[in-house]
Amino acid sequence: MSDSKKDVSDLNNVPEAEVRSRKRHFSFSIVWLVPLVAVLIGGWLVFKALSEKGPEITITFKSADGLEAGKTKIKYKDVQLGQVSAIKLSEDLSTVIVTAELVKEAENFISVNTRFWVIRARVGVSGVSGLGTLFSGAYITLDPGKPGNTTHHFKGLELPPLVTADLPGSLFLLEADNRGSLDIGSPVYYRKIQVGQVVEYRLAEDGHSIHFKVFINAPYHAYVYQNTRFWNASGIDFKLDTQGVRIDTESLVSIMMGGISFGIPQAEAPNTPAEPEAMFRLFRNMDEAKERTYWLKSKSILYFDESVRGLDIGAPVEFWGIQMGQVLDVKLVFDSKKEDFRIRVVVETETERFYEAGFIGNDVERQQLFVNLLARGFRAQLKTGNLLTGKQTIALDFFPDAPPATLTMEDGAAVFPTVPTPMEEISTKFMNILQKIDGLPIEQIGNDLRDTVHGAKQIAESPEILESIKNLNATLQETRLLVSDLRTTVTPEISAVLEEARQSLDNAEQMLNADAPLQVKMNTALEEIGGAARSMRLLMDYLERHPESLLRGKGPTE
Amino acid sequence: MSHDIKTALNQGLVSCHSCHLLSRSAGPDAIMTCPRCGTRLHRRKPNSIKRTWALVVAAFIFYIPANVLPITIVVSLGQAQSDTIMSGVIYFIHSGMWPIALVIFVASIFVPVLKLIILVFLLITVQRKSRWRPKDRTRLYRITEVVGRWSMVDIFVVTILVALVKLGGLASIQAQSGAVFFCAVVVITLFAAMSFDPRLIWDTEESLNE
Repeated sequence: MSDSKKDVSDLNNVPEAEVRSRKRHFSFSIVWLVPLVAVLIGGWLVFKALSEKGPEITITFKSADGLEAGKTKIKYKDVQLGQVSAIKLSEDLSTVIVTAELVKEAENFISVNTRFWVIRARVGVSGVSGLGTLFSGAYITLDPGKPGNTTHHFKGLELPPLVTADLPGSLFLLEADNRGSLDIGSPVYYRKIQVGQVVEYRLAEDGHSIHFKVFINAPYHAYVYQNTRFWNASGIDFKLDTQGVRIDTESLVSIMMGGISFGIPQAEAPNTPAEPEAMFRLFRNMDEAKERTYWLKSKSILYFDESVRGLDIGAPVEFWGIQMGQVLDVKLVFDSKKEDFRIRVVVETETERFYEAGFIGNDVERQQLFVNLLARGFRAQLKTGNLLTGKQTIALDFFPDAPPATLTMEDGAAVFPTVPTPMEEISTKFMNILQKIDGLPIEQIGNDLRDTVHGAKQIAESPEILESIKNLNATLQETRLLVSDLRTTVTPEISAVLEEARQSLDNAEQMLNADAPLQVKMNTALEEIGGAARSMRLLMDYLERHPESLLRGKGPTE
Repeated sequence: MSHDIKTALNQGLVSCHSCHLLSRSAGPDAIMTCPRCGTRLHRRKPNSIKRTWALVVAAFIFYIPANVLPITIVVSLGQAQSDTIMSGVIYFIHSGMWPIALVIFVASIFVPVLKLIILVFLLITVQRKSRWRPKDRTRLYRITEVVGRWSMVDIFVVTILVALVKLGGLASIQAQSGAVFFCAVVVITLFAAMSFDPRLIWDTEESLNE
């Protein structure tokens, strides 16, 4: 206790703490503001993260070359729109599936029409692109496309599209028989200015043609009218004709990559501008495009009960000399009902020509009109187009005497009635002639002829004839003697005469020579005569004016 | 009084925080100042538990963005790469630099979490007036004080890198928002450790002894 007392006594020296009046008491400790602020900041971060979290999309590519999860960006016009979060292989290992998180705003414009592709460094005929990605690494970019249904699964393009939604201009469709040397990126020219390019090509659904998509940049797309013709301007157009050699080409690029040109035929004026995505025909070359060409075609079937020798595929179908179409197919068919062979010819006619001629109306009207024409004898027949080669053509014409025919359909094509060819008629007549010849008593004629020959032989072998021949021989001998006599006596004289004649001719030639004395004299004489004639004329003139001088003589000069 | 331990508190004495002068307490609720230097006097750190709790909670909240958000963005040859603390650790592990990975992991992830857990543990035991191993608990507190400042290593590394690596297009490093939150976590845990009064651990012992 003493210790404690001592302690206490020690503690007595401890000064008293100063007491202050009590301040306002806060029941709420201000320190709680710290976690409150933390909560606010944390909450704001969470809200921001959630509100900025955009759609998560997947894009499939053939390869993930240059792509890295967590690093590769998705950019549009160099604005970051998202980031690749994962890359994995598809289940069948054929593609890679890239998962990417986009920003919130992206939700508004990604749709089924959005296209994604990877920007890498590329080197091609049309240029070099994406060099910046050599350092920065590849990135994915997109073309929003037209608004459409929202989707979060996309198929990435392997190559950058040539046309993006923000590029002003118009797309047009072209239909061609084959691809030619055209490729994606092939240029399109208008008056030799490059105004666009081929964006896409694919086989038509029926497999009969190729459909190209071309993009014409603004403002040139306004020059595409409904009557504009497109033609393939690939490579070099080399032509050798009566006008000489002609070489046509658009540009070096079009030689390498192919190209398309368009324009309006010179005979036509531009009509209404074409709608975007309008369909045009792609002609094989400029000449074909400038010619009058028809694309509306229909098939019809012709049956012939005769030889079609000389009728080739591609042979023309003509109506009054105007080509209306061509033969597509010729084949032999067997008609089991009639137990007879026939030739089935498939032809293609440019129906547009009929329409152009005024053969218009709706389908029913046209059908009726056609039936009427058939009733008037509208028929097809084989005609020899070339007498030398025997090539046949099919001619349409009116044959009022033709047996009546109806229009039937077969495989969706009209069966057009035919009439036998004049050639066949001729051959029938010829056969008749042959038959008549056959009916002639040829054997008897032959017998008579033989008898005649026999008689002639008898005459020839008769002694009178032999005698005559002997006499003839003697006469001939005499004639020969006479001729040899003539040769020995007359010929030297003739040669002498000829010699003289030549000398005379030589003399004459010397006389007529320009420097021959006779010639000179002749010239002088002629000049004298000319002078005399002049004097004579002067005299006559003088006498005319002064007839009195005949009596009085020439008076003194006045 | 089984123990002869005399504490300032049970002797009615208060020590000044600034000049450490002992003075006699006026009463449990009185507001006092030091008679020598005029500093406010407290028998114990005021609102120690409340403050520590508040700061610990705040540190926990900030710890989430500190780890989720990237702390640096490295732009090298135009290719940008942003890293969080954990992705940096994983990067170093993948590239075989185990010691560096360990240092970053300990300094940036292990230590802050350890500190927060120790503080929470101490707060709970003090509030429950637990008598469990006060010595060990005090040792834990000492650990938090000593180790806490080392968490700033990460921030220093980031600041030095940002300042040093400015090679234009070749390479540059920029600090990102994660660094700010991480810094906030470290600073707030330092304050939390400071605001905790370890004497509270022993007060329970004393009060029960009385």
